[in-house]
Amino acid sequence: MSTLLSAINASASALDAQRARMEVAVSNLANADSTRSANGEPYRRREVVLETAAPDAAPGGGFQAHGVRVAAVLEDQAAFRRRYEPSHPDADAEGYVSEPNVDVPEEMVDMLGAARAYQANLTAIGLIRDTIQKALDLAK
Amino acid sequence: MGGGGQRTTRFSETLQRRALLLHNASTGMADIVSDASIMAALGRELTRAVQRQSVAASNLANLDTPGYRTKELQFADALDEQLSPATLTAHDPQHFGTASTVRDRAEVAEAANLPERRDGNNVQLDRELMGLSRAAADFSAAETILAAKFRLVRYAINEGR
Repeated sequence: MSTLLSAINASASALDAQRARMEVAVSNLANADSTRSANGEPYRRREVVLETAAPDAAPGGGFQAHGVRVAAVLEDQAAFRRRYEPSHPDADAEGYVSEPNVDVPEEMVDMLGAARAYQANLTAIGLIRDTIQKALDLAK
Repeated sequence: MGGGGQRTTRFSETLQRRALLLHNASTGMADIVSDASIMAALGRELTRAVQRQSVAASNLANLDTPGYRTKELQFADALDEQLSPATLTAHDPQHFGTASTVRDRAEVAEAANLPERRDGNNVQLDRELMGLSRAAADFSAAETILAAKFRLVRYAINEGR
């Protein structure tokens, strides 16, 4: 049973991680045109770094499911896009405006991937829950 | 003539019934033992299905983790484990001991020959979902048979009531 619970925990950790990824993709999309942020620069695209969460030592030496966690949310250091628009309040001396380094199609794809992975893990949780229920039915 | 024929039929029926009873009495013990080994095998099948589900859940959780390699239970070990009760009799407690230690140590290795993505991850969504469903189905099958076995045992304990 503990193995099944560790499997559910692993899937739940993936739901967390994929939701974080979705949130970051959404904030990137929302700020695709934000030319100002707290530090004066345009918005920088953010990216979630996922890593495998090492499971706790298994009590009986059995296999424990490996979860996943958000290791870091990094800022993309790629150059900003530049657009010529002298009338813009954030234009530099040459009349160019620096715009966020967000690529909208890329964010959409990332979001689709996150949604797909979320769905897959939800399916996994459902199947494992059914298995636990069946195991409990043996005692009837 | 007719009456004698009937008597012989009745006599042969009784003989048959007695033979059946004797047969059951002589093999009754063996039936119980083989039941125990079947139940042990079903129990192992349940454990194996749970481990497979756990491995598939880990793979699915790390669907987008860069550098993660798909894990799978090693088939050869699983097969050895499945075959061992056929060679070990259930009478010796030592043999029970060896069987259970093999079961607890699930050998998990990286799956070979899977196409790899650019980030070094080689988890295939469909493969894992399939593995998960299949493990769930195997669990369900073993559970159904085990439940039927338990019902039989309960029936015997209650003297058929």
